[in-house]
Amino acid sequence: MKGFRFLLSRAVQGVIVMFGVSLLVFFALFLTGDPAALMMAPDSTVAEIDAFREAMGFNDPILVQYGRFLAGVVQGDFGNSLRYQRPALDLLSERLTATGVLALSALLWSSLLGFALGAIAAVRKNKPIDFAIRVISLLGQAVPVFWLALMMIILFSLNLRWLPSSGYGTFQQLIMPSVALGAYYLSAITRLVRASLIETLGENYIRTARAKGLTQWRIVVRHAMRNAMIPVVTLQGMYLASLLGGALVTEIIFAWPGIGRLAVEAIQNRDFPVVQAVVLFAAMVFVIANFLVDVAYTWLNPRIRL
Amino acid sequence: MKHLSALALGLALALPATVVLAEDTTLVIGRSASTNALDPGFLREAATIVDNIFDTLVMRDENMDLVPGLATEWTSVDDTTWEFKLREGVTFHNGEAFDANAVKFTLDRVLNPDNKAPTISYIRTIDSVEVVDATTVRIHTQGADPLLPTRMSRYPAYIVPPQYIADHGRDHFANNPVGTGAYKFVDFIPDERVTLAANETYWRGAPQIDTVIWRPIPDNTARITSLITGEVDLIEDVPVDLVPLLQNAPDADLVQVKNGGLIVYLGLRMDKAPLDNKLVRKALNHAINRKGITENLLGGLATPAGTQVGVADFGYLDLPVPAYDPDLSRKLLAEAGFEDGFEITMQSSYRYMKNAEVAQAIAQQFEDIGLTVDQEVMEWSVYTQTVPFEGPIYMLGWGSTQTLDADAAVYAIFKSGEPYSGAVVPELDILLEESRQTVDPAAREQLLFQVQELANEEVPLISLYQEDKLLGKGVDVDFGGRPDARIPVFEISKD
Repeated sequence: MKGFRFLLSRAVQGVIVMFGVSLLVFFALFLTGDPAALMMAPDSTVAEIDAFREAMGFNDPILVQYGRFLAGVVQGDFGNSLRYQRPALDLLSERLTATGVLALSALLWSSLLGFALGAIAAVRKNKPIDFAIRVISLLGQAVPVFWLALMMIILFSLNLRWLPSSGYGTFQQLIMPSVALGAYYLSAITRLVRASLIETLGENYIRTARAKGLTQWRIVVRHAMRNAMIPVVTLQGMYLASLLGGALVTEIIFAWPGIGRLAVEAIQNRDFPVVQAVVLFAAMVFVIANFLVDVAYTWLNPRIRL
Repeated sequence: MKHLSALALGLALALPATVVLAEDTTLVIGRSASTNALDPGFLREAATIVDNIFDTLVMRDENMDLVPGLATEWTSVDDTTWEFKLREGVTFHNGEAFDANAVKFTLDRVLNPDNKAPTISYIRTIDSVEVVDATTVRIHTQGADPLLPTRMSRYPAYIVPPQYIADHGRDHFANNPVGTGAYKFVDFIPDERVTLAANETYWRGAPQIDTVIWRPIPDNTARITSLITGEVDLIEDVPVDLVPLLQNAPDADLVQVKNGGLIVYLGLRMDKAPLDNKLVRKALNHAINRKGITENLLGGLATPAGTQVGVADFGYLDLPVPAYDPDLSRKLLAEAGFEDGFEITMQSSYRYMKNAEVAQAIAQQFEDIGLTVDQEVMEWSVYTQTVPFEGPIYMLGWGSTQTLDADAAVYAIFKSGEPYSGAVVPELDILLEESRQTVDPAAREQLLFQVQELANEEVPLISLYQEDKLLGKGVDVDFGGRPDARIPVFEISKD
């Protein structure tokens, strides 16, 4: 019952957040002006642009426009994309697979490698290998995604000719975008796993395990890792959602047909309905990911009871 | 571990297989922009792709001369009527016959205000379309329209199949277009590709390239890399900074279409002091070192311009490029009462060749004659909202692309009250209107000359230079680019 109340309160909070985001995204876009002039041919007359503006409903009072927007959103209707003349939600869902493949693959490899590197660094604390891992992960967090992406294109496509420079459809085409997107997370996860594990390894129960004569790796894998994972899971929940942000840059550079690229092109062209749909979608992913993190906590640490 | 390999397999399966095309000649074209939809009557983007699927009544050959397309001949019956004789035996890709009804349907569809066509302005002079018989169409214009044949050579005047659209609806048509052109539509996966296949029964003969794949690759480096590595055969939009990369690549060539790009200019808010003063405008005009900018900043990929009309346009007047003469500028400013200069805002964006660097150079040159320039560099989607309302100086590019006529190059930016115009010169307005009412080409050309001479004297804006159009191609591709920016694959071959 307590658990159910917790779920309910979380759901209500989620709805409030989504409502807040809808307000923000609508009014922020409204403040930047209307897209009528941009949508029309360059030699359109003022009268033609006005007629178009009126037809699109950009002349109605802002609250009327917001009400119309909200009523649509509740029914899953974000309106038609101004550029594509198709429902914004369709455009988004068409690109969900591409972004999903990219984000999940990035999260997958960066998590696995991050755990391994973090564990090695923690166990070999202050040894040369720990130092090397720390330097690499610091670099990984310092290097911007776009720079890494371009360097990879120049090295692996232009010079070595190992991988296709862009596009979607084959495993080879997935490698560079996935590496570019995951690099930052790899570093973050490595550092966090290392720090968390070092702390855990100093706990009393670990000393007990050692006293029992367990091997170092058995202690790390069986006893320490589970507790060390709590902050890492929080991080990953956040990352899954913010991978969408990283996808903006990665998808543009590698011509990946996903949501990030849709968002950037929509912003550049003032395609309001699409921008709104993408932002609300990202907010929804955030809310859901946070919710899942809360659930995962209780599983990982029985002390945190709902 | 089992779970992991299952997930990896899942990921691999989720990626659709690439199209495998054996033995056919395939041309892959990389573009910077994604395609939204393929209905030529309602485009919100360049007509590059649909140009290969559809035909117009009138076409342009390599020399940019108007030649018969789906119309075999056209004549001006009277001041407000043009008659087109249509080609017989042409069919759409679905077998539907091309005839006068298709022409009427095509134009009426765009002109109908309920349809909210974004490019209605390109054919707004049309009053009505009359079907005389199956192979004869008369287009009645509201006033005299000397440019009507030109209007019939570009979008939105690509001829569409009435029956097909009636049967399937506009939305379906936009994603599954059917035309009379050299290429048939195969598939369209948004942000990924558009595939076209040769129309073997095309009325101009079977194309040499069997399959065309258009791939949007927005990032400049990725696009150029994909050309150099042979992933694509032809690319649009080569940025100036990456030209050397292309020139040094053994398997790729730079295609430089001289004067194939826009004419970049400084728009001036003539209704605002101090730009309402002709002496001030002239002073600014002579303060700019156009040669220095085009040669040093732009690497010779643009040509200084003395007029807003492109070299290839009908009505082009070869006016001398305004001399770079800072002393004269200072003198003119003093004459206008601004010995100590003044403070002014100059707006620009990131759109044209090295846009921000050029704006910086010009600001510096304005400071050299005593001005204090406040530079505002804005993101393009914001910039288009403010131009030309704020200024008072703003940098824009304009061109007659696809019409190749002086009217499209100057009317919208010289005529007072037009959405992109900051100019206020009543005599210019009169000349511009008169040119639109004059059907006789020789008389019209004279009027367009007068427009440019007057602009040269009044300086309603400051023409800077005309950009070249830059493309990249594989060495095995035979294509020299076109001043009208089209990529007609029908005219391209590949070894």
